[in-house]
This record gives sequence, structure tokens and C-alpha cells, in this order.
Amino acid sequence: MAFNPLQERGIPLDQQLRNWRELNVTPLDPDHADPYTRCRVITMNGIEVEAILFSHQFSRNCLDADVKRQLAEVRYIEHQQQKAVNWLLPGAASPLETTIAYEQVAVDLTAWVARMEPDPYLKQAYQFGVLEDFDHLYRYANLYEMVQHRKAEKIVDALTEVMPGRPTKFHHRNAADNVRDPYDRDEASPLSKLHALTIMSAEQQTMNFYMNVGPQYMEPIARQLYQEIGLVEEEHVTHYESLVDPGETWWERLVNHEYNECYLYHSFMETEPDPKVRAIWELHLNMELEHLRIACDLMRRNDGREPEEILAPELPNVLTFEPNKAYIRELLDTQIDLTTLGAGYVREAHERFERMQEQIHGGEKPPSERIIDEHRERFGREYRMETEGPHPVESLREHEASRA
Amino acid sequence: MVRQTHDEAPSQDVVDLLVEQHAMIRELFARVTGADARNRRATFEELARLLAIHETAEEEVVHPLARRLLPGGDGVVRDRLDEEEKAKEMLARLDEMDAESPEFLSLLDELRMAVLTHAQYEERYEFLYLRQQGSPDQLARLVGAVRAAEAVAPTRPHPGMESATGNLLAGPVLALFDRMKDAVRKARTNET
Repeated sequence: MAFNPLQERGIPLDQQLRNWRELNVTPLDPDHADPYTRCRVITMNGIEVEAILFSHQFSRNCLDADVKRQLAEVRYIEHQQQKAVNWLLPGAASPLETTIAYEQVAVDLTAWVARMEPDPYLKQAYQFGVLEDFDHLYRYANLYEMVQHRKAEKIVDALTEVMPGRPTKFHHRNAADNVRDPYDRDEASPLSKLHALTIMSAEQQTMNFYMNVGPQYMEPIARQLYQEIGLVEEEHVTHYESLVDPGETWWERLVNHEYNECYLYHSFMETEPDPKVRAIWELHLNMELEHLRIACDLMRRNDGREPEEILAPELPNVLTFEPNKAYIRELLDTQIDLTTLGAGYVREAHERFERMQEQIHGGEKPPSERIIDEHRERFGREYRMETEGPHPVESLREHEASRA
Repeated sequence: MVRQTHDEAPSQDVVDLLVEQHAMIRELFARVTGADARNRRATFEELARLLAIHETAEEEVVHPLARRLLPGGDGVVRDRLDEEEKAKEMLARLDEMDAESPEFLSLLDELRMAVLTHAQYEERYEFLYLRQQGSPDQLARLVGAVRAAEAVAPTRPHPGMESATGNLLAGPVLALFDRMKDAVRKARTNET
């Protein structure tokens, strides 16, 4: 039963190129698709974008013209994979709807990874981050109802709750405090490496998406909210990328990237209910197996090491999109007031944190607070979807007084 | 009134109102699709009424303004009218079909995607610019014309009127569009 990507044969590289007709995928239904299918699409797009950007950087740092050509051949296919995957998103959905889906990914993907992560320091990093994305979902959901008159439950479908997390205004930390300690490439479990790469890629894609989509909005509050949360996404990318051991060689990193793509396509193939989408996951898995084989050959030749030394003997448990409501509530209850200091976590608002807060807020309420105020003003309430009872943190409950 | 439950913020201008209707139309499509075969016809008629109100208001009130105010407005509006024409044809075909048949559902789905896409185009290529080019007063005044269309056939029948639901359509769906057009024109003449 165990699936070992190193033992499987994929599609030969020279048979992987798709023509325009094959790339012209049918998009998901904007109203009836499984929300977790959309989450898998968004995740895999982030993974492919990272594969592409990594390969470009590698190529710019590579002196060997043969290797550059090999990288270019694989990279072109990865680009086609990115097109096939991301073009599954429907044009009939607005950028804000896609944004809410991005935050649902950030919540349920990070929560799953936090639950499965064996290393306690890394686990803490995911637990810390997930409470922030959870809050972003709530802020965007309020914006959504305000500008589109629709409720975010139409998108997240009661699989993910919508209510305050660690308030966004407190995410703005001194940039130096966003840098974590890396895992040790010789000691870390292979699963930990896959987790770090996955979450880093997802957050990086979110960061890029907000960078580009934010200014397309006209409403001042929408533009400002994208700016604010966009800056937090920078912090998240810094946070997660610093978990990866920078001592890994380029070849080793290439192998980890390809292996992670095999892991995720395999996971999604196993859990996907939509047959058309599942066919894409399966096809891409078969392409990635070949990319992995090529990466392993490059590593053997240039690093003088066997890929088996750094990889797991078989794929870890299938990565699954599923509700994490109880887990998130437990974290809200226990970790809401954490911030970072150096590479660790503290509860008190230390001096460097306070200074950053003063500087960035300039004595005013940030957009993430104003969106809730404006929503209350207009609708007489906030938008929330608390399916499992009142908010676990007393001070973050929506009080009757504020509803009046 | 279309929908003013405690849950909705009051519409501030005509763009607000139309965007709100887009959300309700999307909602109603989901209800028709999800309705069991017996109740599908009644829910469909509710959808048809809302579409009639909405499209008439756009054709009579909003598109003419867009044509005047937007650079390239003629072309933008022509594209929207083509989409509306196709949607109306589909709506008329659905109106004549047996709502319990599988063909009904597949055509309904085709209409849903056409209408959703049309609504996105309007929001992105038309409404966005109306807010830039139109004065707040101008956009607020037009709410009245949309309300006139609503008055012809309320989308939510009053309690106790459910049995009469079918009669409100009173004839083929396209006739409803004509009646609404008359009502809006009359309202606008009275305005001036």
C-alpha cells in the first residue's frame, strides 16, 4: 500500500508537453464546487509557483549550462502545470471571493500541519501563524458582506468558522522578530521539511496575490485592508521561510521541492471527490515522479550523495483538508496573546513590539479595525459564523451592546 | 421591496441596490436547483420575477446612464444587452418547460452561469465606473426607478398570498418584462 515516489515510474519528460486544447481546463463551478476542492487548487497553485520561482533562482545561481538547460526543460512543464491548476479557478468569482478561499486554505492547511508536525518548535510556529490567518478570514468576510452583499459562509460553507483570531492590529511586529530558528537538515524528520516547504509556499502565494489584487479595488477600505494584511503576509513568509535550513545544498532543495510536489499531488488524488480535478492531480503526480527522478540524478551527480539519505522511505500520511474547528478553538483559548521576541514567543508586549505598534498605527485605528466598525455601522452587527458556540475568548465575543 | 430584512443594510444608491440583487439572484438560483421537483416551479417563478425587475431596471435606468457617462459606454452597454437578450431567451424557454424534467435543470444551470458571468462583467466594467463618473445624488435618485419595477410584482409575496404566486406571473415570462418596462418608464416620466 505504501507509496514510495523513488520506486515509481512517471511520464517521460519529452511526453509531458500539453497543447492549448489540453491546457484549456474547465473551471470549477463558483457556487457548487466543494470548498476543499478549491482549497486544494489554491494550495497546488502556490506549490507550483514556488517550484517555478525556486527553479529560476537556481538557474541564476548555476554556472553549468547543461544543468541550466535541464532546469529550463522541467520548469517549462511546471509552468504548464501551474496554468492547468490555477485556471481551474472560475472567472465568475470575484478576487475577494478568491481571497476568502485563500484564507480558508491558510487556516485549514496550517492547522492540519500543526497537528501532524512532530517537532515541538516547528509545531509552535504553525500554531502561532494559524491564529493570524484565522483573523484575516474574519476581516475579509466583513469586507465581503459590505461590498458584495454576500456572506462568507457561501464560500467556506460552514467547514471553517469565521470569528476573530489574534487581532490583526497586533500582527505588526518588529521585522527582526519574525525570523525563526531553522530546523537542522541532518536531524529534522523528512515530514518536517515537507511541512515547512508547503506552508512557506502557500503563504508566499498569498503574499503575491494580495500584492497584485489589492489595488484593483476601488473602495478605500478595501484597498487599505489589502495593504495591511499584505504586509502581515510578508511577515508570515519571513516566519516560515526561516524554518528551512539554509545549509541545504541547491540540489538537496531541488529534490525536496520535487518530492513535496509528489507528496501533495498524491494526497490530493487520494482525497479529491471531483473526478475531473482528480484526473489532473493524477496526471501531475505522474509528471512529478519524473521531475523527482531527474532531480535525484542531479543530486547524485553534483552532491555525491544518495537522495534516500534525506528523504522518507515512503510518503507520509495523506495531507487532508478537513474541518479543524475544535483545534482552532483550543489555540484561541491558549495562545491568543502570544507575540514573538527574537526566535521565541512571549506573552508580554515588549519594548520593540510596542515601538513598532506605535509607529505603524500612528495613533489611529488600522484598516482591520475600521472594517469591523464600518460594517457594524452599516449592518448594525458584525459578520461572524460561529457554528460551535460562542467565541472561546470572552473579550472577543460580540456583545449585545456592540450590536445595538 | 426586494428584501429589507433586519439582516441587510439599507441600500444607499442604485449600484448598491443592483449589487445586492446580484447576490439575491445567485441565492435564488441555488434555491431553485436545491428545491425538490414539486416546489421547483414556484421557486423558479420567484427567480424569474427578480430577474425581470433587475434586468428591466438595468436596461431602462442604469445602462442609459452608463452609455452617457462612461468612455466607451456604447460598446460596454451593447455587450451587456447581448448577454441580457440571450439570458431572456433561456428564461423564456425554461418558462415553457416542465420544471420537473432533467432538461430543465441542465438549461437552468446554463442560465445560472450566463447570469453570474453577466453580473461579474457589469460589476467590473460598468458599475465600477458609474461610481467614479456619476454623482452620488444621481445614483441615489435612481433607486426610485428600480423600486417602481419592484412594485409591479413583489418578489416576496405577502403572507397568505402564496396560493396566488402563480398568478402574479400572469402569462409568459417575457410579458412580465414588458409590464415592468412600462412601470419604470411611467415612474421616470412622473419624476421629471
